[in-house]
Amino acid sequence: MNNLFQYVPGNSLIHRLNPITKIFLTIIICAAAFITDRLLFLVGLLAVDMLIGIIAGVADRTWNIFRGLLKIAVFLFLLQVLLTRKGTPVFWIITDQGLLTAGKVVLRLVVVCMPLALVLAVTRISDLTNALVQVLHVPYPYAFTLSTAIRFIPQFLEEMAEIMEAQTARGVAFDKAKGLKKLSMMLPLCAPLLISSVRRTDQTAAAAEVRGFHLRTRTSGYKRYPFSYVDLGTVVFCLLLLAGAIVL
Amino acid sequence: MIQIQDLSFTYKGEKKPALQEINLSVPEGGFLGIIGPAGAGKTTLARVLTGMIPHHYPGNFYGSARVKGLDTVDTSINDLSRLVGMVFQDVESQIISPMVEDELLYGLENFGVSREEIPARIEEALQSVGISELRERSIASLSGGQRQKVAIASIIALKPRILVLDEPTGELDPRSSRQVFSLLKVLNEEQGITIVLIEQKIMLLCEFTKQLAVLSEGRIVRQGETREVLARAEELQELGVNCPRVTTLSRILSARTGEEQPVCINTEEAEAMIRRLIP
Repeated sequence: MNNLFQYVPGNSLIHRLNPITKIFLTIIICAAAFITDRLLFLVGLLAVDMLIGIIAGVADRTWNIFRGLLKIAVFLFLLQVLLTRKGTPVFWIITDQGLLTAGKVVLRLVVVCMPLALVLAVTRISDLTNALVQVLHVPYPYAFTLSTAIRFIPQFLEEMAEIMEAQTARGVAFDKAKGLKKLSMMLPLCAPLLISSVRRTDQTAAAAEVRGFHLRTRTSGYKRYPFSYVDLGTVVFCLLLLAGAIVL
Repeated sequence: MIQIQDLSFTYKGEKKPALQEINLSVPEGGFLGIIGPAGAGKTTLARVLTGMIPHHYPGNFYGSARVKGLDTVDTSINDLSRLVGMVFQDVESQIISPMVEDELLYGLENFGVSREEIPARIEEALQSVGISELRERSIASLSGGQRQKVAIASIIALKPRILVLDEPTGELDPRSSRQVFSLLKVLNEEQGITIVLIEQKIMLLCEFTKQLAVLSEGRIVRQGETREVLARAEELQELGVNCPRVTTLSRILSARTGEEQPVCINTEEAEAMIRRLIP
């Protein structure tokens, strides 16, 4: 979980794409997944997701994300299958309609979740926020909020682990508990975590302020984010994908 | 360079003042060490110097604090931050980027350092704390000590005229701590940067600082040339501030020999003193 959001350095085609193009690609894949009503097209989109991961050289990460989503997907699939009443029964209370809808719902979920996680793996957060500010003219404070939120995820996890270790040292059997039991044991820890996070956030704000947070303008970023032919190609691909989703 | 007069400060919502009747002056090119027990108001004093108090942390502010002639209450945090750089005690909260290089870039970009100058500044700052090889690493993959060095580098890169450091060697091993102190000495002597250093490592403070101030319960109880302050070691002990062993040694020897021995602040001086007394 800890490294799920961490940047994987590299120089692949996907790495070199303009951050804005990557976001566009993510949005288009999501849009296409919701527009289309064909199971086969959704399978195709899943293949596109996988392909992006492979081209970016983060096949392991792609597989891990996919596996993580699969657990939720199985649960959702069963729920959908058991609750759908329409269509002709295939087996017990399961209908052909139910299977089809469940398949589509689950595929949609996976297809929609994957690109964002992949883009975060191959884009530096600073590049993402700087590009948002420079190219899309997003106000800097919003971009800062986004980057800080993502930067804090591993930190929160570290802190949570620390609090749990401290509790384990005082006899709380975190290591023996599983599933819901463990979750209920973790709940009381949210208060200390929240308090320390709020304090930390305030200090981070102060730290940003003394390093010229308010002086930053749209063009302050050192790096520039020009669009290349690869970006153009990706955009064309995105549009084709979208057209496909609408027509098919 | 720094002039604080009759300063008292109480954080909003608190009853007890964090600082009381502080009078402090640091000349340009000075190197002031601040020591004191926990809760003495050291961090609050540092916040006053950077303008975070009263701009970020509100409260009752009496007296005045001037940095290079600018009143910290009237001057915006932006203008002050061009002059004063601060390294925070809690490194985790100071670092705002997920990557080392971006962390150094942040301040440089904000202060409008020219594009041509930026790469050299980053390289120079990383080199001065000895972490050039960490440039492309993510912050999450670094150790506490390495993060501390990144935080220091990110401030040094901005080339402030005054550098305020709040326990910058808290997570560093003895060797790295000495390295940081040596670096501060170089910045102080070669670039004339005024340094205010809050630390608990008394031995290093004695060796490197020019002036020393002892803070206790919000008040400055001793201040002056480092050697002068140390000469009254018994009083420091009472306040809960440890003295370096060499200083204790010269005090004991003064009592035993019946004549006043010079205050030693490093092992070389102590050695010379002992050689003199034992022919």
